[in-house]
Amino acid sequence: MVALTLRSLRARARRLLASGVAVVLGVAFLVGTLVLGDTLSANFTRLFNDVSAGTDVVVRLGASVGSSGAPDQDRGLIDSSLLNTVRSVDGVATAEAQVVGYGSLLGRDGDPLGGNGPPRQAGSWIVDPALNPYELVEGRAPAGPNEVVVNRGAATAGHLALGDATVVQTPAPVPVTIVGIATFGGTDGLGQTTWTAFSLGGAEANVTRQPAKVSTLLVTARPGVDAATLRERIAAALPPDIEAITGERLAQERTDAIAADFLDMLRSFLTAFAGIALLVATLTINNTFSITLAHRTRELALLRIVGASRRQLRRSVTIEAVLLGLVASLVGVVAGLGVAGLLKGLFDTFGGALPAGGLTVRPTAVAVGLGIGTAVTVIAAQLPARRAARVAPVAALRQEATTELRPHGRRSITGAALVVAGLAMAAGGALASALPVAGAGALLLVVGTVAASPAAVRPLAAVLDRARRRSGGVSVHLAVENARRQPRRTASTATALVVGVAVVTLFTVFAASLSRSVEEQVDQGFAADLAVNTAVFGGSRLSPVLVDDLRRLPEVEQAVALGVGRARVDGRPGEVTATDLDAISDVVSIRLRSGSLAEPATNDIAVDAGTADARGWAVGSTVPLGFTDGATVQTRVAAVYDGTRLLGSVLVPAALWAGHTAQVADRTVFVQTRPGVNAATARGAVTPVATRYGGDVQDRAEYAAAATGGLDMLLGIVYVLLALAIVIALLGIANTLSLAVHERRREIGLLRAVGQTQRQVRAVLRCESVIVSLLGTLLGLGLGGFLGWALFTTVSDLPGFTLPLTQLVVITLFGALAGALAARRPARRAARMPMLDAIGAA
Amino acid sequence: METTRPARRPAAAAVRSATKVYGHATSGVRALDDVTLDLPAARWTAIMGPSGSGKSTLLHCMAGLDTLTSGTALIGDQDLAGLSDEKLAVLRRRRVGFVFQGFNLVPTLTAGENVTLPFLLDGARPDAAWVDQLLGTLGLADRKAHRPNELSGGQQQRVAIARALVTKPDIVFADEPTGNLDSRAGAEVLGILRHAVDRLDQTVAMVTHDPTAAAAADSVVFLADGRVVDEMSDPTAQAVLDRMKELR
Repeated sequence: MVALTLRSLRARARRLLASGVAVVLGVAFLVGTLVLGDTLSANFTRLFNDVSAGTDVVVRLGASVGSSGAPDQDRGLIDSSLLNTVRSVDGVATAEAQVVGYGSLLGRDGDPLGGNGPPRQAGSWIVDPALNPYELVEGRAPAGPNEVVVNRGAATAGHLALGDATVVQTPAPVPVTIVGIATFGGTDGLGQTTWTAFSLGGAEANVTRQPAKVSTLLVTARPGVDAATLRERIAAALPPDIEAITGERLAQERTDAIAADFLDMLRSFLTAFAGIALLVATLTINNTFSITLAHRTRELALLRIVGASRRQLRRSVTIEAVLLGLVASLVGVVAGLGVAGLLKGLFDTFGGALPAGGLTVRPTAVAVGLGIGTAVTVIAAQLPARRAARVAPVAALRQEATTELRPHGRRSITGAALVVAGLAMAAGGALASALPVAGAGALLLVVGTVAASPAAVRPLAAVLDRARRRSGGVSVHLAVENARRQPRRTASTATALVVGVAVVTLFTVFAASLSRSVEEQVDQGFAADLAVNTAVFGGSRLSPVLVDDLRRLPEVEQAVALGVGRARVDGRPGEVTATDLDAISDVVSIRLRSGSLAEPATNDIAVDAGTADARGWAVGSTVPLGFTDGATVQTRVAAVYDGTRLLGSVLVPAALWAGHTAQVADRTVFVQTRPGVNAATARGAVTPVATRYGGDVQDRAEYAAAATGGLDMLLGIVYVLLALAIVIALLGIANTLSLAVHERRREIGLLRAVGQTQRQVRAVLRCESVIVSLLGTLLGLGLGGFLGWALFTTVSDLPGFTLPLTQLVVITLFGALAGALAARRPARRAARMPMLDAIGAA
Repeated sequence: METTRPARRPAAAAVRSATKVYGHATSGVRALDDVTLDLPAARWTAIMGPSGSGKSTLLHCMAGLDTLTSGTALIGDQDLAGLSDEKLAVLRRRRVGFVFQGFNLVPTLTAGENVTLPFLLDGARPDAAWVDQLLGTLGLADRKAHRPNELSGGQQQRVAIARALVTKPDIVFADEPTGNLDSRAGAEVLGILRHAVDRLDQTVAMVTHDPTAAAAADSVVFLADGRVVDEMSDPTAQAVLDRMKELR
């Protein structure tokens, strides 16, 4: 008897452990996310503080078109003569001008270095070591116009040494000689940023190409003068359009910008997936508690007989949940630190975008992990605890230890009603592009599906059984019968997987639809023969000279460049596309709503219909455009066109743009070949020119693929993040199977006695697991597919919804396979169970 | 292998010097202590003995549900020692039938499926006429599609017997087959087993502590402390009861 108690306790400990694992994984993910966010944030703050460490005051142009964190894109240049004004201010120790801009350094092999996130910068070398965050470790400071210092990281990556000649694309190619190599605070560089520093004169001539104009003035204070006071004095001496800020403030601005641009997004993105993992964990724990408490019905009833109140029973279950939650969350927090380290390592290896430094563990991250993990466990245990406490004392005297859970008639009907209502609301909301309505509908649908899912068990089992009859395997038959004998348990086991698969499917369908709509737009809009393009996330820029070089080719009929930049459109920061309005229709099919693009005036712009409608503009409207140089130009809307992915929402004449921008660059050049020139010849002619400026040559299909390439990568990341939720769901299935094995040990013993082999025992369990997984996967597919449609229809006003059949089939197969995998351990245990114990238990 | 004694029928199952020790080889509990026993074909042998006498262990070891510590267990002329778990399972489904005391049927399968379970596990098709005849004989013809929980205890036990007989096995092992039944249902079960032995030439070995049940058998083997202490042919309930009293 003692042995039996011990064994059942051990079995329960294992069950508890298994449901604990779900919490551990969810909490680990959450804590990992939080710690990663804190770590990155701390590292960036330190980094930006280092950059402006010696600088007390910074002088720059007052007007900006935004706060993207890329200084050269937000703000224009100032006159270098201001340096004299600043130097004459009382309290200034030293002041120096600096130019910072875009410059892509080519390595020894001619390929650009860096990119894919971290900026590639070129500018001027600061002579005063107190102001310069970089220090020379080899060679000397640049003197001649084509001499440069590069950071050690870039030099190493590009196999560049002192005295080597290479090219910096700013974006026009500039031949340079490396005369010095610098480190940043003793490290290879500012994160993975590449830094190419000319002399000030060299930078004015080769980077911004605007003589006597600089980006900023860097100032140090005399001892005894504090930065804030000095800032006030300098500001008073400057013209009103020039501003002075402290170095500290600049660091803060940069930190805030990277937080808003990147860190907050990364955090909420990862937290959303941690949330999904925790939701799945909650469902798993709920199911485990339900089953283990059902096993203990007699024990609980006995407690009731000897006088325990319902509240006491409920409380004892809650305490159990609190303990489990706390222990699991603690383990989860520790594991979370490992996850954060791992994620950071991944970023360091692949992204390369993040500054180095140890993990930053804030108490809030630990507290949130512990709190949420425990809360989730306790919440998940509440319903089962309530149900368990309702047990009648007389149940202790009944033979039957567990009650069969049949589908609840009322629950199924309510669930079905919710499903119908949810479907209607979500569909209606989606078609009307009303996100809140669609979202509420989606929520109803999910709740309804979970409630009604037990009702789906029998039909599915019947279908499988019919299929079985044709092939005739007793293992399948037994498995089907097992799955449908407790439809509620089968369904709630599958629920966690339903959620996981639904989210996977949602993203798959959404991404596929988005891809297709992009492809369709490219298909309709791409009227050129070739495009010279830059990678979407590469941050590369094309020289404005490229388009002229292309036009000169005999094979080329027309070449039109598109540049993308930031501007204030009617006061709001936004992106504009700079192009040749007159020629753009030669290479991009544009459907005009009104107005004309032909022979535009200097200040004529074009806007897409969506923007025009939203801002109340029509042809003839006046729109003030603020440029980086601080100027605001009153432009006139000359045409309104149907929006297309190939163009932005505001088209600005290239000449107007160039007149107000420091470093003019293009992103894409569309090329129309001359009639009679075949594709291969044209490509052969264009490619060497494009390569010289770092551009990729693409035809229509390649252009479309490049446009959707980022989407595939994102989907890949989403899959990886969702894998955890799926793993938790599978653990839940394995756990339930283990419990089922424990419950059916007599039955398994009987079957073994009558001649079932171990292999057959395993086959039955495996098959049952596959049925549960299939149920979860199919429901998840349906749910996710519909929600994917709803989401796409809500957020996109373009056609292109598509069900990617191949991927959906893969998801289904994966679900079935994963089910078989989940059954491995329970099946092995069932097969090895001593037969006689099982029969003897009778 | 020792030849069977010429005066007796050939054995359907047998043990030679069967010893079963639970726990440590020397200090453990000796459930069977050098038992040698033939179960003659087409005969019904009852195995009796006080609790702890080793009668259930003997049945389990003879049936291939458990293994002997030493000695030989035979089904027909097949030595069970050295058979893999898989081969034992196949042997059980083809050559052995089982009737247990209480938990006999798979609750998710119908009566008909439970009866043909050994064939189903074998991936073989049962002879439908034979199955129907068997069900008819056992009064289960109209219960074929019922689940176990829709049957009475007696009916359930008859389904178990049908399953034990359906493969025409070398031997049927019955472990307290009447233990959970009222006397009428118990008598029915005994009648059916008697019928199987007399009409179908079925060999039956039955562990029981009920003298009335033992009296239905052709002979009784008495076990005490893991040894065969006596055998009785053509037993009566009274004679068995008297013998049992002496053993206690």
